[in-house]
Amino acid sequence: MPLTEHDVRDIAAYTRIGLTSDELTQMTKDLNDIIETLAPITRYDLEGVPPTFHPIGDLSNVMREDEPRPGFDTETALSNTGSTQDGSFKIPPILSGGDA
Amino acid sequence: MMTALDPAKLSVADITSGFAAGEFSAREMVDAAFEVIEQRDKDIHAFLELTPELAYAKATELDEARAKGEPIGPLAAVPSGFKDNMNQVGTHTTCGSAMLESYVSPYDATCVANIIKAGGLPLGKLNMDEFAFGSSTETSYFGRTMNPWDLERVPGGSSGGSAAAVAGGLATITLGSDTGGSIRQPAAFCGVVGLKPTYGVVSRYGVVAFGSSLDQVGPFGKTVRDVASALNALSGRDPLDCTSQECTVDFTANLEEGVRGMKVGIIPSLTFAEGATPEVRQAVEEAARNLEGLGAELVEVDLPHVEASLAAYYVIGPAEAFSNLSRFDSIRYGHRAQGCADLVEQYERSRAEGFSTEARRRIMLGSYLLSADAYNTYYYPAQQVRTLITRDYVEAFKKVDVILLPTSPRTAFKFGEISDPTSMYLSDMFTVSINIAGNGGISLPTGPGVDTGLPTAVQLVGPQFGDDVILRAAAALETCYDIPRVAPMCARGGE
Amino acid sequence: MKTIQEVFRDWEAVIGLEVHTELTTLKTKMFCDCPIDFGAPPNTHTCPVCLGLPGALPVPNRAAIESIVLAGLATNCDIEKRSMFYRKTYMYPDMPKNFQTTQGPIAFCMRGGLDLTVSGQGSDERIDVEHAEDGSYTTHIGITRIHMEEDAGKMIHVGGTDGRIAGASYSLVDYNRAGTPLIELVTEPDLRTPEEARRFMQKLRQIFLAIGISDCSMEEGSMRCDGNISLRRRGSTGFGTKTELKNMNSFKALHDGLAYEICRQAEVLEQGGVIYQETRHFEPATKRTIVMRTKETAEDYRLFPEPDLAPYDLSDEFIERVRAKLPELPDAKSARYQDEFGLAAADAETLAGDPAWARFFEDAAAGSGHAVRIANLMINELAGQLKGGDIATCKVAPASLAELADLVDGDAISGKQAKEVLAEMLETGDGPAAIVERRGMKQVSDAGELEAIVEQLIADNPDKVEAYRNGKKGLTGFFVGQAMKATKGQGNPKVISQIVTRYLEG
Repeated sequence: MPLTEHDVRDIAAYTRIGLTSDELTQMTKDLNDIIETLAPITRYDLEGVPPTFHPIGDLSNVMREDEPRPGFDTETALSNTGSTQDGSFKIPPILSGGDA
Repeated sequence: MMTALDPAKLSVADITSGFAAGEFSAREMVDAAFEVIEQRDKDIHAFLELTPELAYAKATELDEARAKGEPIGPLAAVPSGFKDNMNQVGTHTTCGSAMLESYVSPYDATCVANIIKAGGLPLGKLNMDEFAFGSSTETSYFGRTMNPWDLERVPGGSSGGSAAAVAGGLATITLGSDTGGSIRQPAAFCGVVGLKPTYGVVSRYGVVAFGSSLDQVGPFGKTVRDVASALNALSGRDPLDCTSQECTVDFTANLEEGVRGMKVGIIPSLTFAEGATPEVRQAVEEAARNLEGLGAELVEVDLPHVEASLAAYYVIGPAEAFSNLSRFDSIRYGHRAQGCADLVEQYERSRAEGFSTEARRRIMLGSYLLSADAYNTYYYPAQQVRTLITRDYVEAFKKVDVILLPTSPRTAFKFGEISDPTSMYLSDMFTVSINIAGNGGISLPTGPGVDTGLPTAVQLVGPQFGDDVILRAAAALETCYDIPRVAPMCARGGE
Repeated sequence: MKTIQEVFRDWEAVIGLEVHTELTTLKTKMFCDCPIDFGAPPNTHTCPVCLGLPGALPVPNRAAIESIVLAGLATNCDIEKRSMFYRKTYMYPDMPKNFQTTQGPIAFCMRGGLDLTVSGQGSDERIDVEHAEDGSYTTHIGITRIHMEEDAGKMIHVGGTDGRIAGASYSLVDYNRAGTPLIELVTEPDLRTPEEARRFMQKLRQIFLAIGISDCSMEEGSMRCDGNISLRRRGSTGFGTKTELKNMNSFKALHDGLAYEICRQAEVLEQGGVIYQETRHFEPATKRTIVMRTKETAEDYRLFPEPDLAPYDLSDEFIERVRAKLPELPDAKSARYQDEFGLAAADAETLAGDPAWARFFEDAAAGSGHAVRIANLMINELAGQLKGGDIATCKVAPASLAELADLVDGDAISGKQAKEVLAEMLETGDGPAAIVERRGMKQVSDAGELEAIVEQLIADNPDKVEAYRNGKKGLTGFFVGQAMKATKGQGNPKVISQIVTRYLEG
């Protein structure tokens, strides 16, 4: 079942990408074109076939010891944004306008 | 004694032995390398950022070590470059995207650190398709890279800058990343050697993730031996990457052993499938005959589920990409839209402004494929198909030692020639199944195509952790081709 | 609104808890080796991994996995040898990767449970089970799973009321806490009353303290509890619509929040209204719950297996090594205190529930012969005087307390005097004998001396003696009081009382 523009608008909202309505129309077409090419997946009898989530064979139980190591100083941690205050990252209001 | 250093003409072994013997200083090598870049990169545009300070600092360190008789490393004084999705302290790591235009790496990727530790001279960061989504490097926010063999054609992608740098004589070893063919295909287009190792052989720590279960870092070089030398420096378990594995193989050790008695698998159904141009097919046929001539035995094998590998790849890749790119939210790093009234607006505008069309498509597609509706229709079955493809390879490698097939279905196309996404995706048809199964694959140049005169190539695929086998087979096959490894426009003195 | 007792006549509450516990006794975060350090200045303990920088990869903390297995063993769970981590995606500023690395359908620990005994206050909330003579009852609370995940960063909202998100003009984010190892325990919806929920949390906290995986502070947020609650008519078996309750930051808040919500839901339903599947926030000031957000549809978190982390296949050896670290748990310890030391159940439970107090008690009681008195002094006197201070580092040594108990049991000093002595022990660190000596507090118990005083009082108050013999038995108190005065309060009241009674009876 192809995606509608409504579906795609929901996806854009979920992935937090602001699309113009022209972009939305084009994106809907593009996504549906691509999804059509995925059809071969649905053609196989996959009964009893286990999924492979990690192509690493038997590798398992990879862990590290509980030993601390110094990381970034605050300046470095904040170095890639200009929006900071008193050592913290600063962001605009989480809720839009007015009191909830 | 070399009077004028021309890195374009030198192999890794030439450089390391020359440097060790005192024929030139590392500083001189850096001078020479930047001179070449200055002359040629304005036409090629392989580099997004040059790092002379870092290169000269490393050169000084090497020269001092050599003077004191201290160890200098197996890649000493080798001019190197890194794809711009690899973090390197003191450089921008843009991933070819507006999203990371001003991101400066506060840490090093392990693969970058390993090349430098081995003695590589870090010349700069190399152009790529945005976030590694692409097969032509046309989607880079910072402009395209030209194929040194024909400046009106693409170098391939997504590691187009890395391939073009070697083909243009700008660097001797470069690193790329390969999720569905992004090392092998540009290597093919640019007439150089490109290797995607078995998944887990090279650490992914510090390389911006696209498809976490598909991505591998690998080297480009002019020759198989150069690539093998680089792989030695790159390979091995990294405690910072849980999916990396032990690897103590010396990949240069048995390179000259040849292929006598080796069984080479050929897949008529795949190679001659619709999509591969006649000159590509011919290159594969010729390679097969060459291998036979060297004493290998050709064996027909079949990979019955590989026909679904593009579909499986375009489910798994975007799903993982959607997740990996969720972190770009403008808060800690990356593009931040100005004057936003609230956080949601800042998210939506920053991500819209930072991501180009292809990136948005993959993110949204991936998000859809993982949604409750689609998970059982696409994502889970794709991982089951992955099992089937993996098993196909395991079965095939019970009968053969390596498999021979095309790398790319065609030679380099012109800019703008392939514009719709699904057509572009077909570029990966011969490479993606290797990423899905986690095996290693190498692209070896096989000379100008009979129809286009552009570089052709073939691909050799090995069993998991059989990268030494494919390197050996490639090294043998390489002897059958006497072709320039650096594009003519870039060869000094017009060779 | 009705009271909860009234509501419970017609309605049954179905309650499940989700308990998040930070593994604060570990040194490093879950997926990187940044130190866990609460109270540090913002963004002083971060690295590429816990800041979610592009290219960073997670590496799990072995000690954290051991801790969750230990938690599972201590709560009677099956330990799943094979499990994976999953990614749970949602974009929120305190999430450095905008997905949380957590677990999927199979967690490290599955299918556990704890028996809960509810006694004393609040045990009457539950009306559909049999109660013992003393009013207590036991119920089994199933534990669906315990899974491993990571905590988010901390945010401060500036410009709104009370630092709330609503009305804030900006927020500040600190990622020091991001990546702290977190275990989430989910119960079956087996709890039926707010008191049960409160007791369950207390019990869980005691267990986690005993196994040493966390400092379990609800006030500081290292142990957090959300509740899911729905109502159904008594006798029915279906499930009503449930609401989720958050922001209950103490045991009392948990109880009060659930109690309010039960009454609120009952009122809505009895008026013919509908319960919406919502997340509600407990307001401690008003003791009500208010709507935070409405969940019309469940959030789709795009859960899928974490590709960057290899799966787990825990060996028997790994699990047995962890099992060997299981200490005596509070229930077993409490039973032992009752058996070995003769403590009453309530006292045994109190001491066994806190590792530091249990340790102190056992050190004091070892070989002392006055265990019951020691427990008594600890719970009734020392606890109050310590005012929440740390018993392990206070100036009273276990041996000194044992000595004090000996003095009281031997009638050398009275209980009232013991209280004063203890206060001075706590302040100075001196032993009880020295303090008693210094303050001349030794109780006068010498029968001869006391008898002489009583004899004199009897002689001096013939009218009162007469009144006693005519029925005013309460006059014993007068004589005892006067005798105490004569001994400046140091007379042994028991002995005096005996002598007085003897004289009065004639």
